[in-house]
Amino acid sequence: MKKRRSKEDIVVDSINFTLLTIISLVTLYPFYYVLIASFNLGSDTAQGGLYLLPRQFTWNNYAFFFNDSNWTNAFWISLFRTISGTLLSIVFTCLVAYGLSKPYLLFRKIYFLIIVIAMNVSGGLVAYYVVLRSIGLLNTFAVYIIPTMLNLFFLLIAVSFFREIPEELAESARMDGASETTIFARIIMPVSLPLLATMSLFIGSGQWNSWLDSAYFVQGQSLRTLSYRMMEVMNQTLVSSDTAAAQFMTNLQLTQFSVQATAMIISVLPIVCVYPFIQKYFVQGMMLGSVKG
Amino acid sequence: MKDSITIDRVNSARLPKRDTLAHRFRKQVSLQIFVLLGMAFLLVFSFAPLFGIMMAFKDYSISTGIKGIFTSEWVGLRYFYEMTNDYMFPTLVRNTLAISLLKLVISFPVPILLAIMITEVRHSFVKKFVQTVSYLPHFISWVVVVGMSYAFFSTEYGLVNNALMSLGIISQPLDVLTNPDSFWGLVVGSAIWKEAGWWTIIFLAAIAGIDPTLYEAAEMDGAGRLKRIWHVTLPGMKSAIVVVLILSIGSMLGGGMVGSNFEQSMLLGNSINSDKSQIIQTYAFNVGLAEGRFAFATMIDLVQSIISVFLILSSNFIARRVSGTGLY
Repeated sequence: MKKRRSKEDIVVDSINFTLLTIISLVTLYPFYYVLIASFNLGSDTAQGGLYLLPRQFTWNNYAFFFNDSNWTNAFWISLFRTISGTLLSIVFTCLVAYGLSKPYLLFRKIYFLIIVIAMNVSGGLVAYYVVLRSIGLLNTFAVYIIPTMLNLFFLLIAVSFFREIPEELAESARMDGASETTIFARIIMPVSLPLLATMSLFIGSGQWNSWLDSAYFVQGQSLRTLSYRMMEVMNQTLVSSDTAAAQFMTNLQLTQFSVQATAMIISVLPIVCVYPFIQKYFVQGMMLGSVKG
Repeated sequence: MKDSITIDRVNSARLPKRDTLAHRFRKQVSLQIFVLLGMAFLLVFSFAPLFGIMMAFKDYSISTGIKGIFTSEWVGLRYFYEMTNDYMFPTLVRNTLAISLLKLVISFPVPILLAIMITEVRHSFVKKFVQTVSYLPHFISWVVVVGMSYAFFSTEYGLVNNALMSLGIISQPLDVLTNPDSFWGLVVGSAIWKEAGWWTIIFLAAIAGIDPTLYEAAEMDGAGRLKRIWHVTLPGMKSAIVVVLILSIGSMLGGGMVGSNFEQSMLLGNSINSDKSQIIQTYAFNVGLAEGRFAFATMIDLVQSIISVFLILSSNFIARRVSGTGLY
């Protein structure tokens, strides 16, 4: 039986619905505006009044982006570090977590103490820089993927996740003579799909969005990431130092903003496409994390 | 577990205790290797930088590498005095505290309210949609968020300025991006836009954990919607609110729960608004890595870390006193 809504219900519901609609619009419209700006002729966007649909539809911005070697290089670096960095981080973090998840592991308490200390203290950016410098990671691609290999936040989440997996599963394989590495790769990882999906979204988006490490630890254009390049272009004055490129942009009726909007869409697109599919996993995962504290 | 111990005891009855441990270790050696790899990683990337803290008290030069951290001469608190005497120091402290406090005070209630609003929606599709939308900006780079604020507030091509000017509301474009006086508002506003929706996830979990019979009982007693929110939902969220509050106060100088003060100040700060945008961390970065004054910058980092630890411990202590819940 459906309950009758009281007067208060109607008022609360309609105010609530209106506010949430406004909040959703405020959140989504910036994405939409950048999208239409990336498909509109730059010189036309500059005249203002572009709100709902592209007025002068064009692929010029995207053509320029994918023909400019600085942009494409940054794009590939970001893509490559995202794929390799995410894989490496997931495998390594889960491997360590698998060892830690065994209640009979010797020195477990000491290991966890070390992890908790590492999570809470930091030597600061400069000391970190000195360490990276002395082990030769500066100005290498490896600086993007090696120092992020162990994710301590997900290490703890993975430990509690692996503990829920029945020990019999591993035990029967152990009887058949499987090594721990085989058990990890063939049994533990395949049954941990929700965990792996959550980790790939968080670690992957972190890798894809990262620009700080590109600013601190790398020099020269060849290793810059997409986010770094966007930041750099945003901070430039409108006059491009590269006159040939500037002439080319004028010919295509591009503006700095229309190219910037295109880069933003290319940066946001993979996340927007992947994230809704992974949402249901991380909502569970975060709740687990928040309950266990 | 019990079995394996008894077996060990039988097998090793005649062996000294040391060997039992070694034997048990050998049985789980591959697991130990997995974990020790992780510990080796932490040694290099978390604990080695801790030794770097010594640089704050030493006359260190980068050319001597890691060894120089140990061999260089002690200079005591020289860099601490250099920092407090720096002409930028009062400005940096003021900006760091102002931005951190503004973010904490203004942004803290937002996810709590939003979570309550989302819970009150009855339509499950609308509920899901709003949730999906509000988590989305969390996964976007700060660079893109700053790019969006350019798209909306730039004096040359910003949408808001264009719209307001064509409506005749303003005659001059509003200078939001470079005006020093609007910097703090810009930082707090964009931080809320990006991260407030994300934090609803914790509060939604807390609300989901409230016993539904409490709502039924409240309804029986004649409590309307708002009364139920006030007397059932909010008290049910109490411990989640306290935990998130402690975490935000503890990480306040870094930006608390609504994201990175450092990234925002790096990206939105410029030479025109530097009087309001330079914070301790950006200054440490600029003098440390850009100018090469490593020891001095380490001292700045260290002071900020000590203040943060103090904030975590004291907020935890106060929370324990006031509400009986704490983290530690």
